[in-house]
Amino acid sequence: MADRDSILNAIRQSLTTTHLPEAQATLPPRPASVPGLDSGALADSFAREASALGVVVHRPQTQAQAVETVLKILHESEPDEVLTWSDDDLPLPHLNDFLRAENFDPLDPLVPVDPIARQKKLAELARAEIGVTGALAGLADTGALVVNTSPARSRLASLLPPVHVALLSVRSLYPTMAAFFAAHPDSVREASNLVFITGPSSTGDIEFTLTVGVHGPKTVHGVLVP
Amino acid sequence: MQSNLTFHERVEDALQNQTLHLALDRATGRFTSLRANAFASFADNGDAIRDRARMIRAHTLSRLDTYLAQFADAVEAAGGHVHWASTAEAANTVVIQIAKQNNVRSIVKGKSMVTEETHLNHALESAGLTVIESDLGEYIIQLAGETPSHIIAPAIHKTKEQIGQLLHEKIGMPLTDEPSKMTAAARAKLRDVFLNADMGISGVNFGVAETGTICLVENEGNGRLTTTAPRIHLAMMGIERLVPTLHDLSVMLQVLARSATGQKLSVYTNLITGPRRADADGPDQLHVVLVDNGRSRVLGTEVAEILYCIRCGACLNACPVYQQIGGHAYGGVYTGPVGAVLTPALYGIDLWSELPHASSLCGACREVCPVRIDIPRMLLQLRDEGHRAGKTPGWLKLGLPFYRLAATTPWVFHLGAWLARTATRLLAAQGWLTKLPPPLSGWTASRDFPAFAPRSFSAQFKRRKNHKGTAFTK
Repeated sequence: MADRDSILNAIRQSLTTTHLPEAQATLPPRPASVPGLDSGALADSFAREASALGVVVHRPQTQAQAVETVLKILHESEPDEVLTWSDDDLPLPHLNDFLRAENFDPLDPLVPVDPIARQKKLAELARAEIGVTGALAGLADTGALVVNTSPARSRLASLLPPVHVALLSVRSLYPTMAAFFAAHPDSVREASNLVFITGPSSTGDIEFTLTVGVHGPKTVHGVLVP
Repeated sequence: MQSNLTFHERVEDALQNQTLHLALDRATGRFTSLRANAFASFADNGDAIRDRARMIRAHTLSRLDTYLAQFADAVEAAGGHVHWASTAEAANTVVIQIAKQNNVRSIVKGKSMVTEETHLNHALESAGLTVIESDLGEYIIQLAGETPSHIIAPAIHKTKEQIGQLLHEKIGMPLTDEPSKMTAAARAKLRDVFLNADMGISGVNFGVAETGTICLVENEGNGRLTTTAPRIHLAMMGIERLVPTLHDLSVMLQVLARSATGQKLSVYTNLITGPRRADADGPDQLHVVLVDNGRSRVLGTEVAEILYCIRCGACLNACPVYQQIGGHAYGGVYTGPVGAVLTPALYGIDLWSELPHASSLCGACREVCPVRIDIPRMLLQLRDEGHRAGKTPGWLKLGLPFYRLAATTPWVFHLGAWLARTATRLLAAQGWLTKLPPPLSGWTASRDFPAFAPRSFSAQFKRRKNHKGTAFTK
């Protein structure tokens, strides 16, 4: 730990001679949160912001319609392989059963620790053409989907396949990221990975031509589940 | 690695380079208007949020020892390993050690300024490891064996035809000039790399002290893949890149993407807390390498404020000097206004005394900075340090006492002005002098000098008064 102490001591030493404009002993109180928007307004704002970013937003009236929406998306491309989260982690009960009934058999997402087995499994998962996940929350101001990991929530399901279908409960919408953190103070600590997703992957690195579908998905569907 | 050319030679080179100019015009123009639009969506143009972002950075640095210790402890509590590197060499050595201990042979990398600062790629390759850059622009540059022309759009100096040709030659892509086909080819090639690499190396946009979380911001998905597919994730982080809490992070994120690319949020904002748990996927090991490399020393100086920087690139795009000379001319990893302060601060004014002078002190950088860093103040500070270190050029050391004499002795001033009027009007071409004989060549080496007007202001003032009774009517 020699370097830890030497670096921390160097910092302490420097703090006796530093010049840090605007530095205060404590931060000013956090700004008062925006008055609660009703869930309808949140959903409208989320839908508007997400659509502007290229997310295909679906607003089915019932859970049954939501299932149909998902199946319709799958039938558009008839994927040979799909990746999904387990039913416990999706806002649509028994969705995996519905998928199997239509001959969509989700791959086992568990990546082994052994390096050789790991590479083999990754190659297999890379064949998935559609990934179906839940979302912990949605942010109305930026149209962001909040997707976290846990034992049955594969990260790669929202990353490897070219199409990502995110199922988001309408009750899980928040006006801002700060509001989300205030409502879910342990969500980040409790997951090895939590990602805010605002649309399909993109780049402008070639002559600033916007190209969609770089390393992450090319198409993102956001299904607002009632 | 310093170039063999002097600063002035590098600037001359840049000014002659037409391709670079095309790239800089495209990139800086585009990013400045995207940024402006993004902040216009705030009622106050983002003033309040930027003030708060500044306070967060200032407060964090004022207690950096506490927050850094808290962050490191939290990373370890989440199952990660923390390594402390006082120098660039120590950082690279640690990475190589971790690689060797874990039988790593191939590495995939996300974009990270601090890894360029330590010259990590070079060190890894010298140790026999393969390193592939996964950001599309950086990948293109790596294939071409070139260096980036712009911090956010590294390959923007290349036309799509050139990129198509490059990908055709290097990775066997069928020849095309369509960006979507090129991206698809790079995606396929890099997918292999992601899925077979033993280690993924990333930078860190912000570390969050309260949870030991690493925040990584990106658009392509290469950051996510780099930190998910390989069995080891190594994140390199400058010790100053911290915020205290998640709420503070949400404030910083409101200004980062807007300042860099005009987006409200980047496509992916990753929050990584420790390695995989009982998860389906993710890396089995997380290593965080904390890099000092002079930052703790800079913290104790008058230019500590430069450590507030969140590496958005807005100052580069706004700077009239950067817009003309681009990044290479600065000679180091950090370029533009932030580089003009950070490079001499980290590496010493002795080697870098010209950089603080590569500025007209217009303050455009301070105007656009999301944490309102007062770069002009620090440029003046560093110019003063350079002077005390004996770096002021001879012509200026001689010339200033003469100027002081003229400015305090009216008859000398008027005589000098008369001489200058006559001489500059004789010598000027189209109103400007671009080359003067020594010692005045010291000025024209980096600045043009305007021809004086045919009549001095006081003469014109007097004339109008005499003709019209008052000097103020037209």
